[in-house]
Amino acid sequence: MDLINAFRAPFMQRALVEMLLLSILAGVVGVHVLLRRLAFVTDALTHTVFPGLAIAFALKASLIGGALVSAVFSAVLLTLIVSGRNVDHDAALVAITASFFAVGVIIVSRSHSFTADLNALLFGRILTVNRTAIIETVAIGLVVLLALTLFSKELLFRAFDPDGAAAQGYRVVLLDLLLNVTVALVVVAALQAVGTLLVITLIITPAALARLISSRIPTMMAIACFASALSGWFGLAFSYRASVRHNWRVAAGPAITVTLTLAFVVVAATRWLVGRR
Amino acid sequence: MNALWTTMSTPLMMRALLEVVLVGALAGATGVHVVLRRQSFFTLALSHATFPGVVLASIAGLSIFVGGLAFGLVFAVAVHLLSRQRAVDETSVIGVLLAGAFAFGALLQSARPGGSRDLAAFLVGSILTVTRHDIAITVAVGVVVLLVVAALHKEFILTAFDSDLGAAMGYGRHLDLVVLILATVTLVVTIPVLGTVLSVALVSVPALTARLWTDHVGTAMVFGACIGAVSGIIGLVISAQWRIAAGGAIALSCSALFLLSWLATGQWRGDGAL
Repeated sequence: MDLINAFRAPFMQRALVEMLLLSILAGVVGVHVLLRRLAFVTDALTHTVFPGLAIAFALKASLIGGALVSAVFSAVLLTLIVSGRNVDHDAALVAITASFFAVGVIIVSRSHSFTADLNALLFGRILTVNRTAIIETVAIGLVVLLALTLFSKELLFRAFDPDGAAAQGYRVVLLDLLLNVTVALVVVAALQAVGTLLVITLIITPAALARLISSRIPTMMAIACFASALSGWFGLAFSYRASVRHNWRVAAGPAITVTLTLAFVVVAATRWLVGRR
Repeated sequence: MNALWTTMSTPLMMRALLEVVLVGALAGATGVHVVLRRQSFFTLALSHATFPGVVLASIAGLSIFVGGLAFGLVFAVAVHLLSRQRAVDETSVIGVLLAGAFAFGALLQSARPGGSRDLAAFLVGSILTVTRHDIAITVAVGVVVLLVVAALHKEFILTAFDSDLGAAMGYGRHLDLVVLILATVTLVVTIPVLGTVLSVALVSVPALTARLWTDHVGTAMVFGACIGAVSGIIGLVISAQWRIAAGGAIALSCSALFLLSWLATGQWRGDGAL
């Protein structure tokens, strides 16, 4: 049974622990993202964290520090743009996404090991996750979950009835900022494991899958976390088996995210078939 | 300056210059219709969706234009169909599909030997490896796209500004799909230059810049084409001078021209609708 045997090596155990932590984190945040229809803003955030990472990389400073600064800065910027009334959000988001990403690419392109570095920053290296990275994920996770629990009522009120929330005196922009910062923090936490380009799958796909099964928020969060954890487990085991037994190199990060997408497709197809009867 | 002139006048750089001017003009002109219909994010999603097609084609030894085009078209039709039913939140479904497509591309890429070098070329583009063949394809695609835009000019404008009137006159929402397909075809020739992530910059940013200067759609297309071509030239020259990635430099030139126009036209005062 490769599903269990694959995790004999310590590096595979660390990868699994990191994936389980990220599943919980991304599952909970993902449901909020889904309710607020923030999929586009989330995708923009995953790209805008990249230049901070690249600058920290070039200066040989702490990667997570650079990513954190960049994450908070871009969360503030995106919140301001989306709350602005006169701006076409769609085009403005795309313009900022591309510009930030371009800055990152330019900085990394000055490095000597350009392609290998770009690869690691964009797609992550879950098999090299160490104890420090796991502790960082736990720390970021506690902050995010605490913030979402404390403000869950206000966030849900704002998601379903923005005008009502504003009329009751809630500062809607601040609530939006809070949610965008938590999304950005999850992106940072997932960087080493799945990289900037694949983290979007961890946030959006499990929540969308859960929405197909339930419309109760706590149930959706539980399903999202569970689906994501299961995909993490299968993805890691599959990647291990393919590489060790069949000498077919399959990167772990993409294996996990493809598994998640397939799970979504299967659930969506099942629901469609059941609904037709 | 002399050294730069010598670099720029090599046949390699001349080909690269010609290609960025062509691609910049095409993307800038097509982009005006994408921006008018608020399809910028769909276009970003489309550019991610072409990624597995590009990788598959290069594994199979086919033209990467064909692979990217096939996946892009499937995705464009899927997005169009999904956005018609109100039950599903379309932004989430597009998010799931774009992320899934990208992950699939990355999975395929990781499985081939020596993959990371090509991967970088797909992601951020490699303008210096442009061949005569690529330029010919860009010209052909450009002619077709501009002919379609010219033929459907009135219909495009009518449905973009008043979709209800457009529907009443029997145009339906198929024109949205036509614009998405034009965007896909444009992206497929842009991706070898700028890569899957940055191509969308050349489609949407010069068009946004052009819209700052004029409300007339035809004029905006001409402006967009000029701004796209100029951004391409500036980016390429900067990249040759300081040895940085050309794709990133071109995308940033687009942004810089947008910022300058935004300041120059006084739209930052907040009274203009962008």
